[in-house]
Formats: sequence, C-alpha cells, structure tokens
Amino acid sequence: MNSTTLTGFVLECSGIRKKFGDLVAVDGVGFHIAPGETYGLLGPNGAGKTTTISIIAGLLERDAGEVSIAGEVMNPQSTAAKRHVGLVPQDLAIYPDLDARENLRFFGKLYGMRGAELNQRVDEVLEIIELRDRASDRSEEYSGGMKRRLNIGIGLLHRPTLLILDEPTVGVDPQSRNAILESVEQLGEQGMAVLYTTHYMEEAERLCDRIGIIDQGTIRAEGTQQELVQLVGQRDRVRLVATGNLTAGAAALGNLADVDESAVTADGIDLIVKAAHNRLPEILAAATRTGVSVAGVDVDTANLEALFLHLTGRALRE
Amino acid sequence: MKAVAIAEVSLRRFFRDRSNIFSVFLFPVILVLLLGSMQGGASNPRLGFNAETPDDLSAGLLDGLEAVDGFVVIEYDTEAATIRAVERGEIEAGLIVPAGFASALQAGGDTELRYVSRAKDGLQGIDTAIRSVVARQSTLLRTARFAEQQGAGSFENALAMAAEAQISLPPVEVVATSSGEPFALAGLGQFDIWSQTTLVLFIFLTTLQGAAALVQSRRYGVTRRMISTPTSVRTVLFGEGLSRLAIALVQGIVVFVGTWLIFGVDWGNPLLALLVLAMFAIVSSGAAMLLGAVASNDQQAGSLGTMFGLGLAALGGAMFPLAALEFLSTTVWRVAHITPHAWALEAFEELVGYNGGFAEIAGFLAILAGYAVVFFALGTWRLRAVLTR
Ligand SMILES: Nc1ncnc2c1ncn2[C@@H]1O[C@H](COP(=O)(O)OP(=O)(O)O)[C@@H](O)[C@H]1O
Ligand SMILES: [Mg+2]
Repeated sequence: MNSTTLTGFVLECSGIRKKFGDLVAVDGVGFHIAPGETYGLLGPNGAGKTTTISIIAGLLERDAGEVSIAGEVMNPQSTAAKRHVGLVPQDLAIYPDLDARENLRFFGKLYGMRGAELNQRVDEVLEIIELRDRASDRSEEYSGGMKRRLNIGIGLLHRPTLLILDEPTVGVDPQSRNAILESVEQLGEQGMAVLYTTHYMEEAERLCDRIGIIDQGTIRAEGTQQELVQLVGQRDRVRLVATGNLTAGAAALGNLADVDESAVTADGIDLIVKAAHNRLPEILAAATRTGVSVAGVDVDTANLEALFLHLTGRALRE
Repeated sequence: MKAVAIAEVSLRRFFRDRSNIFSVFLFPVILVLLLGSMQGGASNPRLGFNAETPDDLSAGLLDGLEAVDGFVVIEYDTEAATIRAVERGEIEAGLIVPAGFASALQAGGDTELRYVSRAKDGLQGIDTAIRSVVARQSTLLRTARFAEQQGAGSFENALAMAAEAQISLPPVEVVATSSGEPFALAGLGQFDIWSQTTLVLFIFLTTLQGAAALVQSRRYGVTRRMISTPTSVRTVLFGEGLSRLAIALVQGIVVFVGTWLIFGVDWGNPLLALLVLAMFAIVSSGAAMLLGAVASNDQQAGSLGTMFGLGLAALGGAMFPLAALEFLSTTVWRVAHITPHAWALEAFEELVGYNGGFAEIAGFLAILAGYAVVFFALGTWRLRAVLTR
C-alpha cells in the first residue's frame, strides 16, 4: 500500500486557504510528506492545524489550494484519495454504545474490508491498541486513554498510506500518552507516513522527522528539528516562574540588552536571550524593579519552543 | 453494501436500547387497539333517509325505521346528498323515497323505494330491518286501498282503520324493492378509512422521530468520520435512512396483519398495499433524513418531527378524512396534495375502495417516489454542507 506519486510524495499540498466568515483560519499552507516520513504540525491552539488536516483528509471544502494524496486529487467527493488516508480526529469519533470490536468492524467495512480479512485485521488492531481484553465492553465504559486508543485504532485498520493524527494525546493520562507515542513511533518505523499535529514541543521533537511550525494559519518555519533550532541561533530560552505585573515586567525585560523576545505565559514570563548565563543577574534585578516577584528560573538551550517564541513573539503554550 | 453496513449498525444500536424494542412493537399494537376502539364506536350502523316530497306516508316509514333498535337514522335533504354520504362512508346505507311516492301508491300503481349501500359492506342488519318496516308499511297501504275499494270512505279514513286492524291482517307482499345498484365504491367502510389515515399518520410521525438517530451520529462525530472513509455523503444518508425504513416497514406490517386478523380491516390486495406502505415509508425515511441533516440537536429534531408529523398529517387528510370537509374545494384539494400523505391515502383508497390494481396506483407510487427522491436529495445536500463547509 505504499502508493506514491511521480514525485515520490505521499502527500503534497500547497496554497491551502480557508476562511470561516471573516476569519482566515488557514492562509496559504503547503508542505509535502515522503513515504515513511513522520511530519509534525506544531502550533498553539487556534493555529489552524485541525482546519488544515480536515482539508487534507477531504472533510472540508477549501477556498483555495491543491491537495493530492498518493497522486490522487483530494476533495470531499474524492473517494479514490480517501482510500489512502486514515484519519484520527482530535475529538473522539466512536459510537459509545458499541464495543471496540463493533466500532472497528463497522469502520473496516466502510474502508471496503470484508470477511476473514476484516476479522483478522480487527484482531491485529485490538492487539496494537491493547484493547483485546476489553473488546466486548461498550466503549462508553472505557477510560479516557482507552477511548483515545480506540479512536486511533480505527484510523489504522486499512493500513493507510498516510495516517493523520490530530492531537491524539490531549487529555490523556501520562501512561496512555506514552503508549500512544510508542505506537506512532512504531508505525513510522514500519514505513507508514504520518502527519501528526500537536501543541506539545516534546512530542514533535520525539516523533517527527520534519516539523512545520504553524501559527495564525501560516507555516512560519519548516525543517528537521536541527534545522529549526539553528534558526534561533545561539539563543537560550529563559523561563521565569513569576507573579506580579507580568505584562509590565515582560515589556521592561524585552528592552534589556541581548533579550530578543519576551512573552507572558500562564505562570510567568518567557524570554529569548543571547548567552543567557551572562545576563541572568540583570534580568532578575529588572524583574524585581518592575514589581515582578520571581519564584524560579529555568534556562533551556535552544529548542522548538524558543523558536516559536522567536518566530511569533508569543509562547507556544499561553 | 456500505449503506447496508451503516443501516445494520444503526439498527444494532437502536435495538441495544431495550426500551426501543418495546416501543417499536408497542406502537403498532396501540395503533391496532386504537383502531379497534374506533370500530366499536362506529358499530351502530347509520342509515340515511331521504324523502323527496315528505308526506304522511314517508313520515310513517321514517317513524317505523327510527323505532327499530340497532341503527341510527339520519335524514338528508336530497337524494344526491344521501348517495354521497354513502360513498364517503359517513353512513352505511341510504333509503330514498322518490317524489310522488304516496300518490303513486294511492293510484294503485307500483312504486319503488331506492335502497343504496356499498356492495361489500353487506349490512344484513339494516337490510332486514328496512325490509320489515317497508313490508309492514306496504301491508298497511294495501289494506287501506282494499278497504277504500270496499267503500270504507276516503283513503285516509281507510288507512286509519287499517292501522288499527293491521295486526290481525296477514302480510300481503313487499312492494318496495331495494335498488342498491352495484356501486362504484366497492367497499370503503368508515373503519377502513380510519385504518388507512391512522396508519399513514403514525408511520410518518414515528419515522420522522428517527431523525434523532442521525443527529446523534453527527454529534458523536461518527458521521463526519464516515465521510473521511471512501464513503459518499449520499451513501451515509441512504444507510441511515435504510434503518428507519426497516423499522417503519415492520411497524406497518404489524398494523396490516393485526387490523386484518382481529378486526377484519380491508387493505385490498396485500402485496399492493405493502407496496404503498413501503413507498410511503421510504418517503417518511427521506423526510427523517432531511430533518436529521437540518436539526442541530435531539430536542430540535424531536419537536420539529412532532410538528411536521402532525401538521402534514392534518393537512393531508390523515387526521380527519378530506371528504369530511363539506366544502371540498379545489383549493383544499391542492393544499392537501402538497403532502405525501394525501397521495398515499389516494393510493389506499384506490386499492380498497375501487379494488384497484397496480396500474391504478402506479401514478400515486410514482408521485411518492418523487417525494422520496426530493427528500433524500435535499438531505444529502444539507448534510454535505453541514459536514464539509
Ligand atoms: N467551523 C468553524 N467555524 C468557524 N471558525 C472555525 C471553525 N473551525 C475552526 N475555526 C477557527 O479557525 C481557527 C483555527 O482553528 P483550528 O484549525 O481548529 O485550530 P487548531 O486545530 O490549530 O487549534 C480558530 O480561530 C478557530 O476558532
Ligand atoms: Mg485542533
């Protein structure tokens, strides 16, 4: 099932644009995924990840742009292109009053599977998502993590050329989360092309061969993790866990020498600083002067979160 | 085939809720019982009576008929009104006293009373009762004429004498012949009409409630996910509709068999009746899918379903027969036939009332098919918009 195009890509898309009323949710997104590659779309809530993915999976009409999957043009009417895609939506899409096996069998049939092939594959998938023991219990009785795993299993059934996962770990306990990440890693190793969206930097770093950083409907930067981190240069991310007048504090700190970016986060202020170790005392002093009391300091060498802050002037997780 | 898979899962989920099993069969059973109670209400046969030129004689006949237990006599002003009432099943039979009835008798000539009934409704009770009243009346008349001829004074005088003496006089013969010509309306009894209208009302109403199933699938995100598989919106809607159709058919068949076996309701040719039911059930399923695509939540689907279920039934003559509207104008007819109900009822009437065959109902079936196509097309269009815009 490793269908590819002449250009060798499983997915090619360009210039995707989608408006909801006056809001431009996606504005000229384009990228491609090679066979066996895991591509991450990393961006905060509301960046346009789900909208982009829905268009790529043929669930949503687009205002502009091209999408082709394994050489087939994708649009909501295109059943040929949909054959190649397994979609795992962000929100659960399972029947709560059916058990795991019934849910899997049902979607298997919609993917055109039958008889012995279907039965065998359902068993395999139940194994992968570790729901064999609970296969005959109604899915509404499952834990959050189990439901998520079933949600993912449905997308794997027909061994798609391209598996699309939309924030599959949101709201999942750490153990289930790890199990999900491991499954995705394995699928990638087995040669399945994966499109993975997340707002967790660590997940993108761990899973993805290449990453597109998306914000406000556009891809701001794209490349391997190393390529992306180099964009930030020799800059570190300084995370202040702080209380007080954070807005004023962030503004004041942003004016200091060698501080490139500053942004208010949920529990303090994030900064992008050149050679942070030289500047820390000054930063702490300035914070105190503006009425911000600092409870902790965390210095990270350059990573994707720093890059995001650098690119957008905002923290990835607000 | 995918549509079948979708229908199968929809039914599986429907019957997993045990209370649904109960209600699917409860509905037709209640319907059958309801119809049974209507039959009970209509159990006293109604006889229409019309005297073109009322006189003592016709009044005597009327008195005689009214005195008979077991049926109700309703007077009509004209012969046409009497016949129409028989046609519509408002009364079981009509007795028409022609103009000049009394004078014809006085002149000693033969005269006829016209007796109209529907051939199939074979109302033994009424027939016999009328015959006996008419026989008694005619005996009276003959006796009076005989007395008059024997010089007992005027006819009126003789009649009075005869009335006193009649008990001891032997019956002479029945002059009045019932002239219930073979009637066009072979056998559309009041009870048959009630059965048809009630079936049509309930099938549409309950099937429309099935819109909630589609709304629920949508809410679970499953409908959208189906579209992410190589399955078209049309197939999804068709599959969901198929499950509603299956339920409606089972319910309809229970009503057919129940009313037929227990109360002897006539549904005409059973296969053709099933065909009309099936076509109307398809229309109802289509309407349910359109509603399921339009409604934004369960409650809305439920209340709109009830509103349209009852509203269209009332409009289409499935609540009170259209014929009951005395002013059956073309406007009323046109408005009624906006609804699929009116067409389904026409088809049933053709089957049962006129012993119609396939050729006679084909037109109605085609019109119903048109409704189904329109409902499914609109539903598909709407659902596609809801899911992919
Ligand atoms: N159906 C919709 N109608 C209107 N606005 C929408 C709709 N879906 C998404 N949006 C808006 O589009 C933007 C992008 O949303 P989304 O693609 O869901 O972002 P993400 O998945 O990255 O969180 C958001 O501002 C969101 O509110
Ligand atoms: Mg999203």
